[in-house]
Amino acid sequence: MQLKSKLLAGFAALMLAGPAAAEGIERAAIVMPGSISDNGWNQAGFEGLTKAGEALGFEAAFSESVHQPEQIEVLSDYARRGYDLVIGHGGEFQDAVERVAARFPETMFMVNNGLGTKDNIANADFYFSQIAYLMGYVAGSMSDTGTIGIIAAQQFKFTTDTVAGYEAGAKAANPEVRVLVTWTGDWDDIAKGKEAALNQISQGADVVWPTMDSATLGSMQAVQEKGVYGIGIYRDAINEWPKILQSAILDVRGNMRSYLELAAAGKLEGALYRADMGNELAMRIGSFHPDIPVGVVDEVNKLIDAMKSGTLVVHPQ
Amino acid sequence: MIDLVLLGDVLAGTARLGTPIAFAAVGGVIAERGGLYNIGLEGQILVGALGAAAGSFATGSALIGLGCGIICGLISGLLLGYMSIRLRINQLVGGIALNLLLAGLTAFLSRQIFGAQAGGARVNGFSQIDIPFLSDLPVVGPSLFSQDPLFYLLIGLAIAAWFWLMKSHKGLDLRAVGENPKAADLAGVPVFRMQYLAIAVSGVLAALAGVHLVLSQVYVFAEGMSAGKGFIALAAIILGRWSPIGAICAALFFGFCDAVQFKLQFTSPEIPYQLFLILPYLASLIALVVLGAKASAPASVGLPYDREHR
Repeated sequence: MQLKSKLLAGFAALMLAGPAAAEGIERAAIVMPGSISDNGWNQAGFEGLTKAGEALGFEAAFSESVHQPEQIEVLSDYARRGYDLVIGHGGEFQDAVERVAARFPETMFMVNNGLGTKDNIANADFYFSQIAYLMGYVAGSMSDTGTIGIIAAQQFKFTTDTVAGYEAGAKAANPEVRVLVTWTGDWDDIAKGKEAALNQISQGADVVWPTMDSATLGSMQAVQEKGVYGIGIYRDAINEWPKILQSAILDVRGNMRSYLELAAAGKLEGALYRADMGNELAMRIGSFHPDIPVGVVDEVNKLIDAMKSGTLVVHPQ
Repeated sequence: MIDLVLLGDVLAGTARLGTPIAFAAVGGVIAERGGLYNIGLEGQILVGALGAAAGSFATGSALIGLGCGIICGLISGLLLGYMSIRLRINQLVGGIALNLLLAGLTAFLSRQIFGAQAGGARVNGFSQIDIPFLSDLPVVGPSLFSQDPLFYLLIGLAIAAWFWLMKSHKGLDLRAVGENPKAADLAGVPVFRMQYLAIAVSGVLAALAGVHLVLSQVYVFAEGMSAGKGFIALAAIILGRWSPIGAICAALFFGFCDAVQFKLQFTSPEIPYQLFLILPYLASLIALVVLGAKASAPASVGLPYDREHR
C-alpha cells in the first residue's frame, strides 16, 4: 500500500516535472563508483551535486559504491523516477549511460570525464594538458640540473595529456630540459610512489610532479627527504608540504557547479563541457613558492592570459 | 660494465620495497607451519600501519607507535585465531572477512583520529641508522648498512624465527601441529595453544610490515596503503618453500624486481612500461611453475582441527 502511494507520488511528480523541465532541472541524481567519504573523487562528486542543489534550488539524490554490473539498473531507476539530470561519475559509466540514455530520450545524462556525447548525453572534463603546461613551465624554469620528473600511475587520456603538456611547458621554459616519466601502475601504493620519486631524484631530477592518488604522499616524502622541489595536484599542496613550487588545482566540484548552473537555467546540452584556464571555478593554479623569482611568476601569468585569449593553444586538446 | 651507483640504488630500493613484504611473509610462514592459513595479512598490514601512525601521532614517539602497531597486530591475529581455531570456520573466508573488516575499520578510524588532515598528518618515525664501518663500504654500504632499525629487526627476526622453527623443540611441536594435529595431540602437544601462538605471532609480524611503511618510509597513514602487499606476501610464502629465510629471500626478490623496473623505465623508455610492471609477477609465476613440482606445504594447513572428530 505504502509502495503504491509512493509510486503514485512519483508519477505525480513526473507529470508535474514534465513541462517544467524545459525551464531547468528540478531533480538531479549522481551515481558514483565509490564511497562518498573517500576524501577524493567520489566525495567531490557528492558534494559537487548536493551543494549546487542547495544553492540553485533543485533536489539532489545520490547512489554510492555502484559497481559495473549495477550501473544500468541504478541509472535507469533514476530516469524512470523522473529525474531530469542523471550523472554518471567517471568514464567507466560511459557505456551504461549510452544504453540507458537511448531508452530515456527525455532525460538528460552527464558523464564526468566521459568519452562521447549524444543528444541527451553531455560530458564534462578538464583541459589537462593546459594546466600541465604551466606546471612544466614552472618546473623547467626552476630546475638547476636541467632534469625534471613526472610520475603517473596508468596510461590513459588524463595521464598522457598531462605528461605531454608538462613536457611541452618545460621545453618552452628551457629547450634543453630532460623530462623523466615514471609509470608506477598503482594509484595508492605509497611505497612505490616514494621509490619512483627517489629514482627520478637519483637520476638528477630536482623537480618532481607525482600525479597519483594516495601514492602521491610517498613521492612527496621522497621530495622532502632529498630537499628537491615538488609540484602538487588537485589542491594547493603547499599548505601540506613546504617544498611545493606550484599546484595544478583540478576542482571537480567547481567543474560540476559550472555545468549545473547551466542545467538549472535549462541550457545544458549534449555537448562536451571542458574546463580550461578560463574557468577558474574548475581549473586554476595554486600558490607560487616564495623561491620562484618574480620574473617567472610574471611569465606564468602571461601564459595564462595567452591561454585565456586563445593565442596559446596547448596540445593535445 | 655495471654502473656501481645504479647497483647501489637498486639494492637500497630492494631493501625498502622488500622489507614490508618480508615481514608479512614470515608471519604467513609461521601461521601455515602451524596449520592455519593467514589470508588476513593484507588487513593486518593496514591495522599495523594505522596503530603505528596513531600511536606516534598521539605521543610523538616512534617507539610508542611501534608498540601500538604490534598490539593492533596481536589483536587482529587473535581474532583470526578465534575464528579459525575455536569457531573452525573456513580459513580462507575468515581471512577475507578480516581483510574487508580491517580495510573499512582503518579507513573509518583514520578519519576519526586524524580528522580532516587524513593523509596529511605527518608523524614522527625512525631515522636511518648507519652501522659503523660497514656503512662506509662502497655500493653495499649506503644501501644495506644505513637502513632504518626495522630493517635490522627483520634480519634478526628471520634468523630467530628460522632457529625457533627448525631447531627448537617448540618449533618442532608447531611443525607437527601443521603436519598432523591428531598425532601431535596424542603426543601431548597442546595443539590449540600452539596454533593461537602461531596466529598471534603471524598477526604481529604482518602488522610490523605496516609499521615499517608508516614509521620508516612515508610517515603518514593513508587508506589502503598496504596496496596488495599482503597478497604478494602469500606468493612469497610459497616461493620461499614455507621457510622463514626462504620467504624473506622471495620477498626481497619481489622488491628487487620492482626496484629494477623503475630503473629500466629510464634506461629503456622505448619498451612499454607495462612490461616492467609485470616483471615481478612474471618472475614469481615462472619460479612457482619451476619449483611447484616439489611443493612442500604443511600437510594439514587449512584444515580445522576437531578433537572429537576421527
